[in-house]
Amino acid sequence: MRMNRRFFLHNGALAVAGTTAMPNFLVRSVLAQAAGAGQIGRGQRLVVIFQRGAADGLNVVVPYREKNYYKMRPSIAIPENQVLDLDGFFGLHPSLAAFKPLYDQGQLAIVHACGSPDMSRSHFDAQDYMESGTPGVKNTDDGWLNRALQAQDSADAAYVAACNCGRHNQEHTAFRALALGAEVPRTLAGTVPAIAIGNVNNFTVAGRGATPSPAASAFEAMYADSGDRIFHAAGDETFEAVKMLKAANPAQYTPATGVNYPNTDFGNNMRQIAQLLKANLGVEAAFTDVTGWDTHQNQGGVNGQLANRLGDFSASIAAFWRDLGDDRGNVTLVTMSEFGRTARENGTGGTDHGHANAMFVLGGQVKGGKVYGKWPGLDDDQLNEGRDLMLTTDYRQVLGEVVTRTLGAENLETVFPGARLRRAGFLRLV
Amino acid sequence: MDFLRAAIAPVLSWSLCFPAPLALAQDSASASNPAPNAASNDQSSASSKHRTTFASTQLQGDARILHALNRLTFGPRPGDVEAVRAMSLDKWFDQQLHPDNIDETDLNARIAQYPAMQWSTQDLLLRMPSPAIIRQAADGKINIPPSGTLHAVYENQIYRYQMRKAAKADKQTAANQGLGTPGAAQTPATNSNTTGNMSGAAMDGSGGFSGGAMAPNAVTATQPAAAQPDMTAATTPAMDTSSPNTMTPPAMNPASTAPALTPAPTPTADPVLIANILALPPADRVRRLQAMDPEHFDSFIKSLKPAQRAALVANMTPDLKESVEDLAAPEQTVVRELNAERLTRDIYSNAQLEEVMTDFWLNHFNVYLRKNEQMPYYLASYARDTIRPHALGKFEDLLEAVAHSPAMMIYLDNAQSMGPDSLAAERAKTVNERRPNAKRQAPEGLNENYARELMELHTVGVNGGYTQADVTQVARVLTGWTVDRPQLGGGFQFNENRHEPGTKKVMGAKIKDGGEAEGRELLHMLATRPATAEFISRKLAIRFVSDDPPQALVDRMAKAYLASGGDIPAVLTTLFHSPEFWSASNDSAKVKTPLEYVVSAVRSSNANVTNFEPLVNSLRQMGMPLYGCVPPVGYKWDEADWVSTGALVDRMNFALSLAANKLPGITVGWAPDIDMSALDDNAPAMQVVPTPESEEARLAQVLLPGGVSDATRAAALKQFEEQNGQNSLMATPVLAARKANRAPADAYEREDQLLAGLLMGSPEFQRR
Repeated sequence: MRMNRRFFLHNGALAVAGTTAMPNFLVRSVLAQAAGAGQIGRGQRLVVIFQRGAADGLNVVVPYREKNYYKMRPSIAIPENQVLDLDGFFGLHPSLAAFKPLYDQGQLAIVHACGSPDMSRSHFDAQDYMESGTPGVKNTDDGWLNRALQAQDSADAAYVAACNCGRHNQEHTAFRALALGAEVPRTLAGTVPAIAIGNVNNFTVAGRGATPSPAASAFEAMYADSGDRIFHAAGDETFEAVKMLKAANPAQYTPATGVNYPNTDFGNNMRQIAQLLKANLGVEAAFTDVTGWDTHQNQGGVNGQLANRLGDFSASIAAFWRDLGDDRGNVTLVTMSEFGRTARENGTGGTDHGHANAMFVLGGQVKGGKVYGKWPGLDDDQLNEGRDLMLTTDYRQVLGEVVTRTLGAENLETVFPGARLRRAGFLRLV
Repeated sequence: MDFLRAAIAPVLSWSLCFPAPLALAQDSASASNPAPNAASNDQSSASSKHRTTFASTQLQGDARILHALNRLTFGPRPGDVEAVRAMSLDKWFDQQLHPDNIDETDLNARIAQYPAMQWSTQDLLLRMPSPAIIRQAADGKINIPPSGTLHAVYENQIYRYQMRKAAKADKQTAANQGLGTPGAAQTPATNSNTTGNMSGAAMDGSGGFSGGAMAPNAVTATQPAAAQPDMTAATTPAMDTSSPNTMTPPAMNPASTAPALTPAPTPTADPVLIANILALPPADRVRRLQAMDPEHFDSFIKSLKPAQRAALVANMTPDLKESVEDLAAPEQTVVRELNAERLTRDIYSNAQLEEVMTDFWLNHFNVYLRKNEQMPYYLASYARDTIRPHALGKFEDLLEAVAHSPAMMIYLDNAQSMGPDSLAAERAKTVNERRPNAKRQAPEGLNENYARELMELHTVGVNGGYTQADVTQVARVLTGWTVDRPQLGGGFQFNENRHEPGTKKVMGAKIKDGGEAEGRELLHMLATRPATAEFISRKLAIRFVSDDPPQALVDRMAKAYLASGGDIPAVLTTLFHSPEFWSASNDSAKVKTPLEYVVSAVRSSNANVTNFEPLVNSLRQMGMPLYGCVPPVGYKWDEADWVSTGALVDRMNFALSLAANKLPGITVGWAPDIDMSALDDNAPAMQVVPTPESEEARLAQVLLPGGVSDATRAAALKQFEEQNGQNSLMATPVLAARKANRAPADAYEREDQLLAGLLMGSPEFQRR
């Protein structure tokens, strides 16, 4: 039987691993110690948000100096006097008012004309590519965020080997890779164990009481004493996670004073991510998604469908950011969507599937207050296939920089195989 | 002498056939995977002392039967081992391979509950219209059936659609009036249904009619505890929030068809009216509902309490029941029946191997339910007409059937593919040039999606010896393989106008210009490649033997595949007669997938399921929704994919809920078969009084006939000991009453429920 990849995390699993050499990924904390607190890339946490359905980047971060923008979008363009100006060329959609102070304070960066180089206009394929991190390659097993954690493990192992300090005193917890949702998303699929929690209040065996129910205790003993090492280890992890969560008392959580999350699916997810981050459960990478961006018809301009989505989106993220308080310094948040939308509005007051889009990067270490990326222009002859915003920055370039600088993933070929990312190409936004 | 011969022959075959690999496999497996039952532990320790006789490495007797049931079925039901023993294992296997004569009276009666699942896709779309059909009907693009139930179905859905639109417009007006301050915390609640592109009724839980006796929130299995936690997240269909809908709706005028009214708060139906309708005979009930105008029908349905919902369809024939569900929520009815029919077969079919293989091929030829709004409708036919008839047939026939299925052509986009030099492409170019700003540009070229997956996932495998140039060539060969009027549920069509002219060359072989025949030639070529034999054999061995099957076994199966012209029963027969299959080291080596886990739990507890939604929801929570795998690769069979922290929580909670009868519409019974009235007459000596120990042993024999580890038994019994120690009547009514032999039957039942739940949630039950 080949070594199972998921269960070498904790003491118990390490014990049953027996003669196996110490698994690489148990040693990472040495780095944090040795490298010192000042070094970026250690002890940083990454939060990834997927806007499913393809957000209309041109109405999110508006190139309001482009004449053709207004010509192409007669009924949905955001008027120049309504945008929240960023730099004299771009302006935020007015529903993103909650983002403006973060931008002004230098914590929020934007990368425009960015996305997957694959030309697919299928949500289905494009989301898959964004999440696998291998545009054009369908059958990649795992997701880029999981591979980033794998790369982090390798980097740590290499470091320990080099310094010959074969001791470690910290391990990853069951919450290392966390998804708020029913399933582990494609982005987090892979050899590093990931945990999916739909609702922190429900993550419990046989009831929610403060003391474990008889059934929960029986299961715990059963798995703890099991000679089946896979399930023994899985049981250890599960009950550890359940207990850690119970100790954090999720039902009692109140956000920081003055923080109000929107009462939406996305708002609730962001609240729970903040809660788990603040509870010091060992979350290193967190993922959630937000839907409703597929605005083919009746998209609206300053108000309307897209405006409502952006209101929820920015208010939830801003509340999350404020809620983090002192933790902001070691958290980075990045947003993505599978592709952008057509530069021209269509016949039904909406936009169709396009190409490049805008990404947000928010963090205590982020060099924000700037719109990054080369702007390709919006003249007719500057459009991709005559219809979409041209792509000038591969999203993997942004994510590659983010995972290097936050998670300490060094081998970018592991994270984004085939992308041939080079550090020289980093935008230097983190 | 017989004894000697029996001992020598296996030793010979051991040394001849597979000296090293099997020994290695066994050593590593017994080191890394202590089999849960004590018997195999004894075996491995014994084998280290005396050098093995072959017999000790191969399963024998009932262990053999049990192993066959674990691997070739969705798990043994009580009594299955005895039944197979009575007819002999070989005969049983033969019957499973050729299931035509298996008695399916029970299954057929259950399947008869879903008449619509026998309809053609076109009928299904017409009679249980999709949101897309409703939008077109609302916009006057298709005709509404003039009368009868069907007329009412359309009217009801058009009404709903218009109400939703009006609500949206209202929200927008409110936003325009500045009520929704941008970025403020009181942003309107997320409506995942804000875009026309997401299917309407599919996500509209509010007006849906759930058929059984459950409210939308009562169907999840996660929390057996009395306090129902907030299940919002868990009951939101994961597929709806995480997956796009790629279909673009027909253009429509948002204002013209909306009723000129502000949607009022849902009016409540008069309780007297509800009572009157519920009191009607079944057929009259349907007539009455059908006669209601949409507004009243809507408020009527929304006012029903769960018990009333059940009463509404009580005593109805399946057809009438379907009509009522159709009136309330046609698309949801299709999806529900699609799932229910599949699970019904998995659980209750006696032709278990056929169902296991149907599941295998549905996964191998994965199609995703939410690819577009028509897909649920196409999937009924896909399972029924494309996959199941060939599940135990020739692989090439299956491959042909899949390639001719609208479901696959749509799912992997071949339906849109067009030869770059075809007539149709020429026309599309002209049209597109004339209308450069058209909302939807007509496709005018190749789509390689299916071509690639056909080779990579369906036949030769990623290392099967093809290049990107071959993918493009295959895509050209398959141009014109499309679907006739997909919005209306049309069938496969070969469209000559879309077909790329000229000779193609695939993996060195020339395929001459020949229209649809080119594709058939290609499929034949792929189906007969050695790489395909190997690829399919390995995947079968992973499903049936181990995550990392011995190469010798795969080679033997591949040889059988090629020798038999891709005959699936021949390959399975080779598997069945291979020593690797019976190796003791593979006993319980496979971790159950969520589907295998859920179905085996239901089967082993002999549950009667009349409502499948709790199972469907549990599968979604466990990350394996039926027809819910988005990428074409399908779900994996490896343990690494299915053992995770969240998954274990879900499995434990599912086991406890199922065992304790907490899943609505699913009933189990554990009570011991004793005469309780005899217990009351103070004649204890005459009765065998159940104890926790005896009950544990009895239930373990039913649920885990392969044996229970000491750890599991001790943990399951510990709580009863503790309670015994406290000797508190309040805490332990059973134990206290037991002493006087006065325990009421339901007290035993509760004790048994907990024991059974613990056994089904145990590590042993996670394996097969």
